[in-house]
Amino acid sequence: MHAVVDSLAMIGVSYVMGFLFYGFYRQFNARVQRRWGPTIWQNLFDNMKFFFKSETLIHGPMFFFGPMIIMAGAFTTVLFVPFLKDSDWLQGFSQYGNLILIIYLLVVGPLGNALAVGSSGNPFGVMGVTRGLTRLMGLEVPFFLGLAMVMLQHETASVHAIMAAQDSLAHWGIVTNPIAFCVILLPFIGSQHGAPFDVVGAPVEVYAGPRVEFGGRLLGVLMTQRMMMSIAKLVLLVDLFLGGATNILVLIAKAFSLFLLTTVISMVFPRLKTEQAVDFFWKVPLGLGVLGVILTVWLPSWSA
Amino acid sequence: MSAILRLLFLIVSLSPGLLLLAWDGSLSWTLIDGVRLSLTLTPLAGFFMVLLAVAAPLVALPMLRRPLDWSSLALYVPLVLGMELLLLAGDFISFFIGWEIMTWSSYLLLLRSPRADLETSQSYILFNLASAFLLLAGILFYYSLSGDFRIGPLAGTTFGQELILAVLLGLAFLIKVGTLPLHIWVPSSYDQAPDLFSAFLSGAISKMGVYGLILLLTLFPDALTSLAGRLLEGPAAGYLLAWIGVVTSVVATYKAIAQEDMKRLLAYSSIAQVGYITTAIGVGSSLALAGALYLALVHTLVKVLLFISVAGIVLQTGQRRFKDLGKLIERMPVSFFGVLIGIIGLAGMPPLPGFAAKYLIFVSLVDARWLLLLAAMILASTAAFIYCYKLIYGPFLGHANSPQAREAREAPLIYLVPQVILMALLVLFGFLPGLPVQVLIDPVLVALGMETIGGASWAELTTTYGGYDGVVLMLVFIIAFVLVTGIFLLLRGRMHRAGSPYDLSYAGEVPTEGTPLHYGAGMGRELHRIPLVGWILRRGTRGFYLGLAGQMRAAAALLGSLYVGRPQIWILIAVVVFAASLAAQSMLGGL
Repeated sequence: MHAVVDSLAMIGVSYVMGFLFYGFYRQFNARVQRRWGPTIWQNLFDNMKFFFKSETLIHGPMFFFGPMIIMAGAFTTVLFVPFLKDSDWLQGFSQYGNLILIIYLLVVGPLGNALAVGSSGNPFGVMGVTRGLTRLMGLEVPFFLGLAMVMLQHETASVHAIMAAQDSLAHWGIVTNPIAFCVILLPFIGSQHGAPFDVVGAPVEVYAGPRVEFGGRLLGVLMTQRMMMSIAKLVLLVDLFLGGATNILVLIAKAFSLFLLTTVISMVFPRLKTEQAVDFFWKVPLGLGVLGVILTVWLPSWSA
Repeated sequence: MSAILRLLFLIVSLSPGLLLLAWDGSLSWTLIDGVRLSLTLTPLAGFFMVLLAVAAPLVALPMLRRPLDWSSLALYVPLVLGMELLLLAGDFISFFIGWEIMTWSSYLLLLRSPRADLETSQSYILFNLASAFLLLAGILFYYSLSGDFRIGPLAGTTFGQELILAVLLGLAFLIKVGTLPLHIWVPSSYDQAPDLFSAFLSGAISKMGVYGLILLLTLFPDALTSLAGRLLEGPAAGYLLAWIGVVTSVVATYKAIAQEDMKRLLAYSSIAQVGYITTAIGVGSSLALAGALYLALVHTLVKVLLFISVAGIVLQTGQRRFKDLGKLIERMPVSFFGVLIGIIGLAGMPPLPGFAAKYLIFVSLVDARWLLLLAAMILASTAAFIYCYKLIYGPFLGHANSPQAREAREAPLIYLVPQVILMALLVLFGFLPGLPVQVLIDPVLVALGMETIGGASWAELTTTYGGYDGVVLMLVFIIAFVLVTGIFLLLRGRMHRAGSPYDLSYAGEVPTEGTPLHYGAGMGRELHRIPLVGWILRRGTRGFYLGLAGQMRAAAALLGSLYVGRPQIWILIAVVVFAASLAAQSMLGGL
């Protein structure tokens, strides 16, 4: 019973945080561009509108199951990320998983949806998927290297144990392992589909990217899962680098500050092409990561 | 008569499994004076026997489809028996005999394909003979060190001797495994072999190289811990092997993405996967070896499944290139699920067991502090998603691109049965990732004198870095999927299917039958624009081998020029030198 209530609570929290954060993003973005912008509730309204569309066009069974897989993947991901530390609540099934599992779970859903895109028969959609996979290939290398540095630092892949080790500000991951945080930050923006790495689904690119054929309730599902996945990733980074959170308010505050940081970076850079993005990930964050490995792993072992 | 022969054939293909159940103790007899042959089933060999026991009957079953190719069936029998001998061998003589039987019968089987051309068959047999000769040289050197052909740890050898032995045997096995730059026989022979036999080549025969590599480690008592000292937290000698494996997987992955033929793509993907296994063997810790064995198991299941599915597609459509297929999902649904489960396992996605294997290898790399290797491996492992997607999109999704693809029917039942069995096994191991560890891998680790990694239950995969629970993961995913689908269908509104396949949002245009809508062949072409990937894809090992051939020719010309000039002078010099050395030795009192 506890597990059921807890799971529903996690899904609810991530959904609410998702539409509020992205509502804020739209307004903030508008103000930076000297527009008035929509209300902070706009993402919720959009989402609800999609869900109550009366007509949905599909292109065969796989096209329908793709968004279901991606949604199930989002739920599973959210349920395997611990939202709070030292608490019985908002834990989901995170004690049965670990960091590497979460990173892979983040990809399961999008790959399932890629099947739906393929079965729609629209070449623009598949082109978008290929771009998405290419970008993933670029960002995953530095992202995972940064996470590996964190795992090495704490000698565990368990998110709970990593959170527990950060008991005070001085022990936060961002303080004890700043290189790993810097390595991860830009690929993290890429994994959130944020600018300047948002070429995959950006409105003016290859028509509309992977979502080109989706409409109505299916588009609603895709929008929901993206908001929830983004929150899961933000919370994961809070757990790893900002010491986790002991209650929901602290969690929102920390996740929001991280979101603000990524938003600010996103707003000032122009969009990169896919291959430019990949090349950038392999030069700057990965170069920094290699430097970090040499400094934190190789040098201590030589001097020892 | 034919029925009896087919029954016999099936029994032979089941023999590895029967052997596993019935084998007890060991056999040993004297071949000639001082040389004893012995057959025994070590836990390590037992693990690879399990792989053979899975692959052999499942590949054999579809081979029984009419019209029968009796020669192939006849060649398959010595192949399976030879591999059994190879695995049972307790001494290097029987090992070599098994290796040779495997090499020659697989070569003859390869020649049964009408598509096999001279270049491919030549490169297959030349590389495999090179492997066999290196193996022979290694065995003779081993005999000179230990005075015995029995396979066991060496004692009292110098570092130089160990190095020579490791290089000779290591090269022999790396050729079989197909690491860079020794891989060039692999893609064309996997591609041109009879479609079903490719499954066996990739699923079972390549694993014999892996078996050899691990066997090689057991020859050196300290190899797994400290051969040639430690580098960070792993063995320094393994570092090179690990990089060979990773570079192999990165390059092979990009080559796989660039292929336009299903079987060639799978061939390159096999090279890449076995590259991961090589890396893990290089790390050498108990976690890494467990990962290597786990990946060997998953790779056997996955590749037999994928090659049989692809064989079914080729059988029904006669097409093997991505641009000639498409939209088979509605016509061949079971094969679609076969390929789907196969690529999920191949890509190492949770919840299927490919993830468990990758997880063990990743954790072992973190544990060894070899993070740069880990980053390179992640690169290969993520880029693999692209070819996995290509493999399912090209044949099954998008638009049908040839008349055969438009009219294909599901593969015959005899092709589907092995696929369903393999899918069931993969899903089972997805639920119970600890099952292969406890039942198959831990006994091997015990026999190698390493720590076991089995957890409390079959559902869990545990490591010192934490683990995960397969049952919980699978159930959460399934329940979430059912709930999402149920709620979605309960929502108000209706769904209807697009009227025609050309009813698309096509940038304001209306596509027609003539519009090229299938993206299969071009997928991955844009990767050339990424500098590193473009650099890899522009290069091949052909240049390396041409250079090598050039050097050989130059060396031969040099030798020839000695002879062409005035042979009598050289003979005279040789006689003088010989006489002088004799004289010198007799004066020093040596004679």
